[in-house]
Amino acid sequence: MTETQPKVLVVDDAATVRAYHSTLLTEAGFRVVQAANGLEAVETALTTPFDLFVVDVNMPKMNGYTFVETLRSDTVGTPAPVVMISTEDRPGDADRAYAAGANLYLVKPVPPERLVRIARLLTADRVAAR
Amino acid sequence: MNALLAQFLAEAADLLTQIDEGLLELERTPGDPELINDVFRAAHTLKGSSGLFDFPELTRLTHAAEDLLDAVRAGELPLDSGMTDDVLAAFDLIRGWLAHVTGSESLPPSAAADAAVLITRLRTPIGGEAAPEPTTVEPGRVPAWLAYVDEEWLAATAAWLRTTSSQMRFVRYVPDSGCFFRGEDPLHLIRQVPALAHLDVIEPIEWPADHDEYACLIGFVFAARAGAGEIGYLFRYVGDQIEVADLDGDAIQRYLSGETGEALKVAAPASGDDPDLVTEARAVLAAALHALTTNPTGSAHLISVANAITNAAHVLGDPVEIREPDVVTLTATVTRLLGDTPPPEEPEGPGSVDDGGQVGSRILKVDQAKVDHLMELAGELNVAKNSLPFLARAAEEEFGSRDLAQRIRDQHAGLHRIAEDLRAAVMDIRMLPLSVAFARLPRMIRDLGRRLGKDVELVVTGDDTMADKDVIEALADPLMHLVRNSLDHGVEPPGERRAAGKPATARITLDAIADGDAVLVDFADDGRGVDPARVRRTAYDKGLIGAVESRSLSDADALDLIFRPGFSTAEEISDLSGRGVGMDAVRAGVEKLGGTVTLRSEPGGGTSIRLRLPLSMAVTQVMVVSVGGQRFGIPVDLVAESVRVPAGEIGRVLHQDVVVLRGEVIPVVDLARVLEMPCRPDAAADRAIVIAGVAGQRVGLLVEQFHREVDVLLKPMEGLLAYADEFSGTALLGDGLVLLVLNLKEVLGLAARVG
Repeated sequence: MTETQPKVLVVDDAATVRAYHSTLLTEAGFRVVQAANGLEAVETALTTPFDLFVVDVNMPKMNGYTFVETLRSDTVGTPAPVVMISTEDRPGDADRAYAAGANLYLVKPVPPERLVRIARLLTADRVAAR
Repeated sequence: MNALLAQFLAEAADLLTQIDEGLLELERTPGDPELINDVFRAAHTLKGSSGLFDFPELTRLTHAAEDLLDAVRAGELPLDSGMTDDVLAAFDLIRGWLAHVTGSESLPPSAAADAAVLITRLRTPIGGEAAPEPTTVEPGRVPAWLAYVDEEWLAATAAWLRTTSSQMRFVRYVPDSGCFFRGEDPLHLIRQVPALAHLDVIEPIEWPADHDEYACLIGFVFAARAGAGEIGYLFRYVGDQIEVADLDGDAIQRYLSGETGEALKVAAPASGDDPDLVTEARAVLAAALHALTTNPTGSAHLISVANAITNAAHVLGDPVEIREPDVVTLTATVTRLLGDTPPPEEPEGPGSVDDGGQVGSRILKVDQAKVDHLMELAGELNVAKNSLPFLARAAEEEFGSRDLAQRIRDQHAGLHRIAEDLRAAVMDIRMLPLSVAFARLPRMIRDLGRRLGKDVELVVTGDDTMADKDVIEALADPLMHLVRNSLDHGVEPPGERRAAGKPATARITLDAIADGDAVLVDFADDGRGVDPARVRRTAYDKGLIGAVESRSLSDADALDLIFRPGFSTAEEISDLSGRGVGMDAVRAGVEKLGGTVTLRSEPGGGTSIRLRLPLSMAVTQVMVVSVGGQRFGIPVDLVAESVRVPAGEIGRVLHQDVVVLRGEVIPVVDLARVLEMPCRPDAAADRAIVIAGVAGQRVGLLVEQFHREVDVLLKPMEGLLAYADEFSGTALLGDGLVLLVLNLKEVLGLAARVG
């Protein structure tokens, strides 16, 4: 049954948050791969196709914005949905996220059922296509 | 340029600065683990990012520097100044490459050769060898060993590669059976492959019964998204054992010979009339609208937005079909979908479109051409506004309305203030801190100091003082000359300093301060100073001054001699500053900016040099001509050519002097007459005529004599002279003369009125 499950890349430098989001999504039937920063995530995204990206904003090495820009650039060029989740809510952050290529910008904490709902909503077409 | 590349270039510039600063700091506090770590991390990040592009030399060179720094970081060897030089040289080379990349999006052709030299040097301390080139890549052909790769994975990868029109790098690595005896570790190598996507092991069909466990009988086929340089470098010692093929989705698909990826089963997503899901769908739509306002250009982003809209629309029970997504269509679709259902309380996460006011300062990067254009417009506004006083006079004299004239004058006063404010505001945009001009000096002082065996410490103050970008940029060269001169001639070797009772480490201070509409940069060293007597003697020996002058000159005037071209106090010519770039270059550079240089010195007590520069500059190139014995400037961009014609060739057509030049009849205006200068006609002499293009017309300007073209700092006419429209401004010439620069448009208008 593995190939039928949508695949998610969870990118967050905080191991706890990463594990939390991963568990939620795994229990909801997604296959989850984790990355601890944008750079790691780029490497992973270059080698594996994903159906959804759940991305933190503030990370060392490569932050979430740059990672999403890279995802959307010709180098990776993936049209898969991107949800950015930020700890802080500063003015202009949402603008940056959307300009970078995000499809939804959320501020932590995101209620678990909400994250799952959104993940399912955004991957509906990709699952249906199989 | 690709946005990712632009991003990389910006990031790389920052990292290079960090590396430079870190290494210099490390020399002051050797062995500081945090500093080493910072430098290593910066190098590591640079290498990592460079791997995203096809700059194999860049990646390899950075990798070599990183490995050396890693060894230092691990405490395997201490960082000596030779190594520091090599690392600095490597990153200098990279900085040069990046400048090339900025222009051409490729590395310079010499990159491979230059990199090889430095890589060898960087690897020597860590016992490395020069990296041999990896075996050649098969161009586009599908190698037979692809059969070792799992087909299911290949199919999925092909499908994915086709959606992104990108390539995957496939590598076959068959280690030598005796590899273990040569210190090679195939497994370790494989583990090091960056962005490894897939790995298959080639095993012998049948393992020999008497298998020698010290012989390697297996091979590997793997797929990775690592750059060619990375793979080549990683397998540099076993280059003959690998084979590389770059394949795109189509090639793999062809290889699979029509075998399409198997249809995968559908997992039903949660959907339906869940009210929470409807809220989420609206949030997704609002976010899509937000994303669309950023005007996504990349197709990947646009498709993702379209998909998100499709999914949300499905949940809202109003399915839409988007064929070719574009911003306008998508925006209309989202607006309709959001409009059809009642808006919830909070359509999206915080930080939404109508985010109150912006907090904190936001930096906007603007193309310099735009600012320059704005500056021009502000200047034109200033000129245009000056027509109002004439209008006022006309109102009074021709239409007899003093009242209207007064109102026009009031308007002019108001407009004048705004125009001036605007000019000041635009100038302010161009302001940069002097730290930009100072940035290269610490490095330069360090390098020169080491070469000359002199210890020098640099103390900078006031580097946050602001000045115009052009001033800042033009200041860099004079400052470098000063540093060279100071280290070469001023600062004594440590032994001499100690003998003179000074600290062995010399000190150079650089202090910037704003002074009205000028900025003062004081450059001082505590070296041996300049001896006026020696200056006199040298100047006399070089024939710059006569015997009488050499005795009568005051000490201050004698010191000024060192700014004369051809002067150099150094007995031996060094490769630093002795070759024609003396203090005269500094003075010339500063005066070109409209500034001045003064020098004070105490023999034995050091030298201080003050540069006084205008805060802003607007350099105009003018051609100097003389008319009636006085010199005037004509903006060079209006001058088409200058010709001399015999007096007899100037004819007269319809009360207008004309000259026929290559069949073209050009009206000639006698500048002496227009400017009411004394006219000294010499019937026999040739006439000097400047052919200018003004408002689309070619006009000949009769002048007395042509002179050279000069760059001048044009200052607008002020006070009473502001109404002298026939001049666009004044400029100070190098010899102290004030040059009036003509406003040709007005001059010709005046000529028409004079008749």
